[in-house]
Amino acid sequence: MRNILLAATTVGLLTGCGKSADTLAPAKNAQVLPITDNHVMLAMPGKSNPMDAMMRSMQGKPMPRGAAMQRMHERHEGMEQIGKSFKIAGRTLKSDTPDLAQVRTAAATIALLASRTPTWFPAGTGQNVGKTRAKPEIWQRPSDFVAKDTALRQAAAAFDAAAKSGEMAAIQARFSDLGKACKACHDSYRSE
Amino acid sequence: MKAPVWDLPVRLFHWLLAGLIGFSWWSVKFHHTDWHIWSGIAILTLLVFRLLWGIFGGSTARFSSFVRGPRAVREYLRGDGSWRVAGHTPLGALSVVAMLVAVAIQVGLGLVATDPDGLYEGPLAQLVSLDATDTARDIHEYWFYVLLALIVMHLGAIVYYRLVRGQKLTKGMLTGRLALDPGVAPMRSARWWVALLCLAAAFAVARWVVAGAPPFSP
Repeated sequence: MRNILLAATTVGLLTGCGKSADTLAPAKNAQVLPITDNHVMLAMPGKSNPMDAMMRSMQGKPMPRGAAMQRMHERHEGMEQIGKSFKIAGRTLKSDTPDLAQVRTAAATIALLASRTPTWFPAGTGQNVGKTRAKPEIWQRPSDFVAKDTALRQAAAAFDAAAKSGEMAAIQARFSDLGKACKACHDSYRSE
Repeated sequence: MKAPVWDLPVRLFHWLLAGLIGFSWWSVKFHHTDWHIWSGIAILTLLVFRLLWGIFGGSTARFSSFVRGPRAVREYLRGDGSWRVAGHTPLGALSVVAMLVAVAIQVGLGLVATDPDGLYEGPLAQLVSLDATDTARDIHEYWFYVLLALIVMHLGAIVYYRLVRGQKLTKGMLTGRLALDPGVAPMRSARWWVALLCLAAAFAVARWVVAGAPPFSP
């Protein structure tokens, strides 16, 4: 059953993702996504771009507790991994002789994880369910939150592209943009 | 009869430190981490200045005049609580040293810390590993409560002096003058240009730290 849903989602993503800025290799992403609320993704297969899917998952029926805890754990680990990669990239970019391979690995990791963020904030994964720094405001202002998440995914993809190009000035600029995208969201939606 | 007890550099140091600690708390709480870091560097400058002023400053500012051993503190506590020298009492001196050390530790941790997202880091963070920058931040966050405890004790002592002993210490720290018992020698001032030299040296040290402490910077 799960496989069928996954395949259907993949098809939905493939057919629905015309807007390239929003998605990075959609088929590949669909396979690594540990999707457990496929019903949300499949509700409108023709329109399942990440922004719409995220919006629906945030406004839909709250997840059952067990699945919610699992999703929150995945979110926590993912955010931590993004942070770690960002710091590794930052450290080498600040040195006199930046290690391009290190930057590329970090940028790819961040872009991949950022592409999963639309699935990280379904309804029912807030502070009333478990220990999390995700503020309730996330689900009170979903359109703003989705916009900030989209900005993150675009910034992560741009940083990844710059890293692949190897052009240092572009890498530094996109790295700085990415940091701003992190901060914009964390300042409003992450508690102390 | 009021006599000079605290010189101007001591008073400026005290109030600037109090203000900057408040500003440091506020700026990081409200996501102005860049201001927070500059505030910490300003506090570093103050600390270096105070260290030098504790050697070359006015009589009541000098560590040699107020830092005393545990026996002096014990004797002072056994006595009737009077203190016949202008400046810190032995117990007050203990509090001064504790606060200076605690603030120095807090600044030191901040210099090598990074914020959780890796967007901001202290000027010396590049000297330690990424894990160490995270650990430094964790301790830096908890250490604030040590500072807070010392500040609360400090304020408690001021309230005690005001209510029980009828002495306005806060006003004394503003004007620099306090009532002294007859026969107690007042403060002996240092020359004003010594303060400028200490300040210049403090700026130089802070500037060097901001630059990543060459030649140790990577």
